[in-house]
Amino acid sequence: MADGVIEQLKLSFANAILAEQTTHDRIPTLWIKADEIEKVLAHLKQIPAPFSMLYDLTAIDETEREHRSEQPACDLSVVYHLLSMERNQDIRLKVALDDKHLNISTVTGLFKNASWYEREVFDMFGVNFFGHPCLKRLLMPQSWQGHPLRKTHPARATEMGSYQLSVDKEQAEQDLLQFKPEEWGLKSSNGDQEYMFLNLGPQHPGTHGVLRIILQLYGEEINDSVLDIGFHHRGAEKMGERQNWHSYIPYTDRIDYLGGVMNNLAYLLAVEQLAGIEVPERAQTIRVMMCELFRIASHLVWYGTFAQDIGSLSPVFYMFNDREQIFRIVEGITGGRMHPSWFRIGGVAHDLPAGWEKSILDFTGGFLKNLKDYDRLVMENSIFKSRTVGIGAYSHAEALEWGVTGAGLRATGSDWDLRKKRPYSGYQNYNFDVPTAKNGDCYDRGLVRIEEMRQSVRIIEQCVKSMPKGPIKSNHPLTTPPNKEQTLKHIETMIQHFLNVSWGPIMPAGESFFGIEATKGSNGYYLVSDGTNRSYRTRIRTPSFPHLQMVPLLSRGTTISDLMAILGSIDFVLADLDR
Amino acid sequence: MSLITKTPEQWVNSHFGPGESENFMFSRLQDLITWGRKNSVWPFNFGLSCCYVEMATSLTSTYDVARFGSEVIRGTPREADVMVIAGTVFIKMAPIVKRLYEQMMEPKWVISMGSCANSGGMYDIYSVVQGVDKILPVDLYISGCPPRPEAFMEGLLLLRESIGRERRPITWLGGSQTVEKPVPLSMRKIKGEARKAATTYDEPNRM
Repeated sequence: MADGVIEQLKLSFANAILAEQTTHDRIPTLWIKADEIEKVLAHLKQIPAPFSMLYDLTAIDETEREHRSEQPACDLSVVYHLLSMERNQDIRLKVALDDKHLNISTVTGLFKNASWYEREVFDMFGVNFFGHPCLKRLLMPQSWQGHPLRKTHPARATEMGSYQLSVDKEQAEQDLLQFKPEEWGLKSSNGDQEYMFLNLGPQHPGTHGVLRIILQLYGEEINDSVLDIGFHHRGAEKMGERQNWHSYIPYTDRIDYLGGVMNNLAYLLAVEQLAGIEVPERAQTIRVMMCELFRIASHLVWYGTFAQDIGSLSPVFYMFNDREQIFRIVEGITGGRMHPSWFRIGGVAHDLPAGWEKSILDFTGGFLKNLKDYDRLVMENSIFKSRTVGIGAYSHAEALEWGVTGAGLRATGSDWDLRKKRPYSGYQNYNFDVPTAKNGDCYDRGLVRIEEMRQSVRIIEQCVKSMPKGPIKSNHPLTTPPNKEQTLKHIETMIQHFLNVSWGPIMPAGESFFGIEATKGSNGYYLVSDGTNRSYRTRIRTPSFPHLQMVPLLSRGTTISDLMAILGSIDFVLADLDR
Repeated sequence: MSLITKTPEQWVNSHFGPGESENFMFSRLQDLITWGRKNSVWPFNFGLSCCYVEMATSLTSTYDVARFGSEVIRGTPREADVMVIAGTVFIKMAPIVKRLYEQMMEPKWVISMGSCANSGGMYDIYSVVQGVDKILPVDLYISGCPPRPEAFMEGLLLLRESIGRERRPITWLGGSQTVEKPVPLSMRKIKGEARKAATTYDEPNRM
């Protein structure tokens, strides 16, 4: 079916296609002429079984890349990643741009969620998307000079001189933060009556972190809103260009900082795909088990804080106790709590300690009972229901339009779950259901997550029962750190060990994307290797980014108290938004 | 002639009978105020990144920071005593962090929680300030990435102790008009020897 689309495209757009590129992830990748990209995207969006989701949009600075066979010469490429759920198929389109003409037409007319992606590319690479309704910096401060993800931009803060915040500079930055409605495409009155603008954040307990929302209020009602993000931009993508393939693992933990080792998995699956490493069964099962534990831990934080956002103060105390129990297990196995960085290229860091089964089964038994109590405490509470049922609803079509994945998508009736649709790490071997709901409102998103926790318990119990014996690390030479046993027998394995541990492994040149069903939706790493010990470009596709972009749509016509319920129900993490 | 002819104990004993005089407690005003201050250090409800989750965890029942009088997190800087910089200080966020600090009322203290706030930590990257002490005076640093809730609480206890030894002017009518802070402790000096002496560790093979 996939080839069918490509063949069709080649026929219909013979003149628009510049090249076809092969990648390690086997996602069909085509280079399209800049002025034809809009037409090709529009075509893919309206064919039968369409590519209706703009899954990701990013760019690559090509100026220093050496391994570029099959690729047209260019200084920068813009990458469009589309997803068709009906076909269960991805397609990647690239556009070559020249540094002198960093211009391309916007696709915001085709895909609603392209707006932030294009602003991010403008901010990070300086590409000008003409026709964009509000093309301004997204992540960096408006006063920033340069485009951080260009190879010419310094990476380290220490290269850029010591940071000073004088009184004048503080005032100037504060002045820039003053909200002027016209700059954001908002009107200050509707003709008869002036709107009131209310600034919420970046410091506000209801925003779960440093997020800024400006509300355009008509009386009590939210007429429109604008999100100002980037207060949590930690340069994780640029960091990937400096750390070697192995030493980047701890940075992934800190992307979705509630998801722990789940982040390691998304990154490592992309790296292992690049290297062609097969992970042994035991390591896969351990990975799945740890990931599902973290899924529960993350959902518990969401559950407690969501209830708290709505004014129910006690549930969070119960839920954090369960989370502590999970952390006791995690600590016993990995030695860490929130950021264990415990998975390795080709396996995991250490074998399971004696007594792990008991600690997990002790937890799961009690936890299922607790979940029932929490249902009575939160989900059956009439106040909670009146605050969430029918609030912040969106349809399945809207979800696709805005790039929603995870529980937010499954609450609209879809059963799209990468663990079932594209099983990785052996998920096909477990019995579990994909919970769905119908209404797509705050309450249903909650229902889906709560049922997901029960399913995670099922998966964990199956892992405990059927934990295979065998190695916890692959024998592949690029496994890092490599197996030590043979190093004292041959000099080759000794050299390999020495190099992998000191410089880091050298990955074959090429491109590799891998997406997993993370705690908050679909999280994926798109890695470009230029055949060195570190990534040439690391792109992190995070779920919180598209989900939050939807907030203005969801909050329109509601009140501020509803907005708190909507934000709580989305389940986002700021580091997952701004990276 | 001195107006005070009796010690406080003598005064109480002359006015109250046996059994009643035990209801009195004597203290110097200075000590009483610092005692009150150090036992109700209210944190500002302010978080930047991952560290804030561990800070919030210390509020929940397993750790229960209420034992030390610091569970009252305040939503406005004007009501808070301590600002915990829990997370990465971003260049885009720095002017806002500074403004929030300026809005706090004296006396106020700052805890820098975690590697990012201490020094930039893992993030020597274009968008991150290399330590919050570039923009604010810091009273106490907690190491870790993120520090565990226990580490946060240890920091809080150390800060409490330090607040208890601070001397601040009580009235403008007399006495010292300057804030006298105790010399900051160095955990490296205090715990260094014990840490060096620890040579056996729990095996990672058992839970």
